[in-house]
Amino acid sequence: MSRRYDSRTTIFSPEGRLYQIEYAMEAISHAGTVLGVLAKDGVVLAAEKKVTGKLLDLSGAKEGGYGGSGEKIFLLNSNVIGGVAGLTADANSLINFARSAAQQHLLQYNEDIPVELLAQRLCDMKQGYTQYGGLRPFGVSLLYAGYDSHYQFQLYHSDPSGNYSGWKATCIGANNGTAQSLLKQEYKDDIEVKAAISLVLKTMSKTMDSTTLGSEKLEFAVITLDPETKLPKAKIYRPDEIDKLLEAEGLAKKEDDNAMRT
Amino acid sequence: METSFAITGKGYVLVASDTTAARSIVKMKTDEDKIKVISPHLLMAYSGEPGDTIQFAEYVERNLRLFHIRNNYALRPSAAASWIRRSLAQSLRSRKPYSVNLMLGGFDVTTDTPHLYWVDYLGTMTEVPFGAHGYGAYFGLSLLDRYHNPEATLEEGIETLKRCINEVSKRLVVSPEKYKVKVVDKDGTREIEL
Amino acid sequence: MSIMEYNGGSVVAMVGKDCVAIASDLRLGNQALGISSNFQKIFPVTDRIFLGLPGLATDVTTLRETFRFRVNMYTIKEEREIEPETFAHLVSSTLYEPTGGFRPFIAATDLIGCLNFAKDFVVAGTASTKLYGTAEGLWEPDLDPEQLFETISQTMLNAVDRDAYSGWGVVVHVIEKDKVTTRTLKGRMD
Repeated sequence: MSRRYDSRTTIFSPEGRLYQIEYAMEAISHAGTVLGVLAKDGVVLAAEKKVTGKLLDLSGAKEGGYGGSGEKIFLLNSNVIGGVAGLTADANSLINFARSAAQQHLLQYNEDIPVELLAQRLCDMKQGYTQYGGLRPFGVSLLYAGYDSHYQFQLYHSDPSGNYSGWKATCIGANNGTAQSLLKQEYKDDIEVKAAISLVLKTMSKTMDSTTLGSEKLEFAVITLDPETKLPKAKIYRPDEIDKLLEAEGLAKKEDDNAMRT
Repeated sequence: METSFAITGKGYVLVASDTTAARSIVKMKTDEDKIKVISPHLLMAYSGEPGDTIQFAEYVERNLRLFHIRNNYALRPSAAASWIRRSLAQSLRSRKPYSVNLMLGGFDVTTDTPHLYWVDYLGTMTEVPFGAHGYGAYFGLSLLDRYHNPEATLEEGIETLKRCINEVSKRLVVSPEKYKVKVVDKDGTREIEL
Repeated sequence: MSIMEYNGGSVVAMVGKDCVAIASDLRLGNQALGISSNFQKIFPVTDRIFLGLPGLATDVTTLRETFRFRVNMYTIKEEREIEPETFAHLVSSTLYEPTGGFRPFIAATDLIGCLNFAKDFVVAGTASTKLYGTAEGLWEPDLDPEQLFETISQTMLNAVDRDAYSGWGVVVHVIEKDKVTTRTLKGRMD
């Protein structure tokens, strides 16, 4: 019976549910983990990459651009970074939309878009797809890490239904339950960026399938205030920077000792 | 003739505008308030083509109010000013442009700083320490060049403003008789009796 | 009166040896009445491109916002900075775009920012005729950054002193391969 209410997003089931939205959320809980922690002086994002393999061409990630390898973490505006979990293709179109919305705001008000307003813009669009004409909802959840002068550093989460909420620390994607209970235990209200970076990496290493962390499985970004200009500075780490960070945190992959000993 | 002044001081902006509403050579009214409170911390003095002025001022007032209701915070003075400037610049290239000159005095609560923007009907905008529109500008600006002090207290600011108003009364052939003065600071906006 | 003279203002740019410089005055006027003495007319586009926009001030602001929008979208999508030559085409296509279908934008712009664009110097704005004179007299080939700064500063300061619609201070940017030096100069306030 319930099948009858599956095919169109705009139809409620007799129990008052929208199955397509629930399926979309289900899809996201299998996607690569994205984790965010809000600190006093910044926000930290990390994501697990799913598309890996030694034949994958990553030369684009190494040079030029604003960093990152462009699968999970993106620069949405100079003051906001986004982390996505779900269908990558859907995410790309949402990211495009977010970037245009942010620039549109800059054009109209001559200021960087406030973080919550950007989340709202995307949620308005996502919500539309749960209501209108037989379209499929976006299979994407996002984390927004950003700064604005109204509410300083902020971390938001939005889901396919178009709901959004603000968080001190949260996680989306696979194993998000485990990660969230870990974060709940470890999070302190006055945490600073340095400690938040350790917390994020520690939690990631415990929730990810693989035993060791490395840049081929991880994306990482931090947004802080530039000490000189007092403007938000978003930094999306390049693969080699991630490896260096992991090494400093003592979480790096140990080089396999394969050399023959005499 | 229409005259408005605005000056910044330590933590405040003073905005003054004459209160005459005139058609041609006739004074129709001498207690018209031409300074709108368009946000909790933003004042807008407007002058220009009668009709256009009120129409445009109300358009701005309501749009900023809508933004405030939707987002639970008011636009910062710089953001509001940029939006208003854009409205005028777009209007300039429309079939019937608004002929409105503005002076925007605001207090940015996110940075605790006063800001004053001079805007004309073309959509020209610049942030200034003090500014004026109308014939009064020809008398007031040179006085303000000499007497303006960005660190002045409110009392000192009012004294400087009085100098300008008195000079206009003394030298301008068709000088306005009354002014309304409002101030914006960290506590919001209020009217001041000279 | 030409619409270019309504608000006043001038820009000059010069080529040196492995560097370029761009300078503008800081006045914003309402014909003869001065309104502001810190009106920006030169805008950074990227770390090594500067755009000088003298002309009708409302269009200066509108255009700078339009260019910022387009360049930001380009940068974030392409994941690299726009090249000076590409940006020049962006400027040219934007200026030719009619607004509102009534008349084309009224703003004269000269694009500077790259060693390739001009052999010596370019001028624009209300003091352009005077700038030609002073620049012609002072500029020589292969000036180093410090010499270029001195040359462009003197060119600008002396030209705007002869122009009622320009002046009230000068801002100079000297662009080198890996750095930009910005200095604000005091000028006559009359």
